Amino acid sequence: MVAAPLLIAIPLAAAFLVLLLRPVIGKGVRFVPPLVLLSNLVLSCMLIPRALAEPIVVSIGGWAPPLCINLVVGPVGVLLAVLIAIVSFLIAVYAAATIRKEPSDRYHMLFLLLVTGATGTVLTGDIFNLFVFFEILCIASYVLTAYEREKAGTEAGFKYLVQGTIGSTLILVAIALVYGLFGTLNMADIASRVSTVDSPVLFVAAGLFIAGFGVEAAIFPLNAWLPDAHSSAPSSISAVLSGLAIKAGVYAMVRTTYTLFNAPGFFGLLAVMGVLTLVIGEISAYRQREDIKRMLAYSSIGHIGLIVFAFGLATSAGSFGALFQLVNHALAKALLFLAVGYMIYTAGSKRLSALAGLGREMPVTCVACTVAIFSLVGLPPFAGFMSKLSIIYAAVATERTLAMVLVAIVLAATVVEAGYFFRLVQAFFFRESHGPRGGREVPLAALVPIVVLGILIVVIGVFPQVVTPVLRGAADELCNRSEYIACILGRP
Amino acid sequence: MYYAGAVALLLVGFYMVLVKANLIKIMLGISFLDTGTHVLLVAIGYVRGGTAPILSESLRQSAEAGGSVTVVDPVPQALVLTAIVIGVGVLALGLSIIVQLYRHYGTLDGRQIRGLKW
Repeated sequence: MVAAPLLIAIPLAAAFLVLLLRPVIGKGVRFVPPLVLLSNLVLSCMLIPRALAEPIVVSIGGWAPPLCINLVVGPVGVLLAVLIAIVSFLIAVYAAATIRKEPSDRYHMLFLLLVTGATGTVLTGDIFNLFVFFEILCIASYVLTAYEREKAGTEAGFKYLVQGTIGSTLILVAIALVYGLFGTLNMADIASRVSTVDSPVLFVAAGLFIAGFGVEAAIFPLNAWLPDAHSSAPSSISAVLSGLAIKAGVYAMVRTTYTLFNAPGFFGLLAVMGVLTLVIGEISAYRQREDIKRMLAYSSIGHIGLIVFAFGLATSAGSFGALFQLVNHALAKALLFLAVGYMIYTAGSKRLSALAGLGREMPVTCVACTVAIFSLVGLPPFAGFMSKLSIIYAAVATERTLAMVLVAIVLAATVVEAGYFFRLVQAFFFRESHGPRGGREVPLAALVPIVVLGILIVVIGVFPQVVTPVLRGAADELCNRSEYIACILGRP
Repeated sequence: MYYAGAVALLLVGFYMVLVKANLIKIMLGISFLDTGTHVLLVAIGYVRGGTAPILSESLRQSAEAGGSVTVVDPVPQALVLTAIVIGVGVLALGLSIIVQLYRHYGTLDGRQIRGLKW
């Protein structure tokens, strides 16, 4: 099947093509990323039915799986690939309309590289290949954070680079240890043999993987870079970092703990760390009044905590809820960063008070924001309600005391979250603006992605059955590792 | 022996990244971390008495003469090559960001660059 490698190859080729096309078509390069990502979206949607029936395994180089580098398009891979394609396509449309600072070709190249890295990370079946794609994703996002070269962005980019590189080093050391034990880099091959070795080295490697990917996924206490990077980057980049980049980190962490090691001792740790991250994130978000993008960034930390907590339950229902929440958060947070980015541009300030009364000037954008906020907080009938409900349902179903205590904390954190998000809604609609601002509605080309994201959130909320089959299949793939191994290595 | 060297390099790298205030020294620490990882990878693939895993004429002759040929594991070496490329990219990027930071702040001391709160 040729479509799976194309998902990675097309954006990668286009990224460098952008630089070559620049002298030929000039400003026209800004239309390249939307076109490329549209083709990615179509291709990945075409893969859905086949991937759900049975994971598609593509061997590169013509060798049989344990030897070659392989791509695995299972339910998890296809779910995340479609999510990445949709969100990045919409962000590319928004960026084509709003990135005015020329030359913009480098921006578009880096953006496409970031998408390549994210797609590759979720599709690969080889642990070192996963590291390489992950590095592509990380390096592209360091550069994009510092893209505008102003004071805050540069400093945030440097912090992000140092912390991210330490995380990558830990991952590489873990890969070296795993290779030393098993002599293979294929994830399915490692997974099938992991129970035959009982060594403290294995434990160290699993810990290093969690810590290394935890940096990119922004798990407490490894998340010092995130509020700076997400609030200082250009808005379309904040959206892609918050919507996709940290999700790739979570995916890689979950893939290594669930499929590679299946170490029960780590799941309790994940759940506790998740809740800790959630609490820290939500409380820090509540304290932000000065900088609204910083508030959204802390809220992303909180949601990552919730997702990791749900994965830490180590049940199929928990993974289902976590993946559902992951999809909803990607859609809602991308919408919020895009919309708020334009509002900050209009209002000329990042302060919450500067956004007062915008509901009258930009009604469509503010309504779309409100939809995203209600979804994040978890109000019915929006998508976030279903996912939060399924996480809590899954946690209660485990009937463990620890899970019960953690659920109580999660619910309390949701109240805090509602507190700061409703402050934003209140500022939009129920506060008078101070003096004339002359704000107008977002231009059409930038408004369309925002509205489409809003519609997706409502559709998933009202008809969850459009996504549940894929989510169900993905949760089963994560929890049923022997099936995954059998698909790739062939049935005995 | 090799493992000890690798671990020592990693520890030196961590020390420099965590303790030093000078941004260039932090980047040097990252470079140490990279090198430590590379040594670890090569040490894992080392086979005692092995030669380079390249299919050469002399290798074939000694194999045909009936002598057994030991070669080291080629996979970690391929990994190290990839990792070196990534490391160089990160290093160059980090240094260029430092140049940019120096233009903004006029200093390389990390303690004085506090535009953003942690």
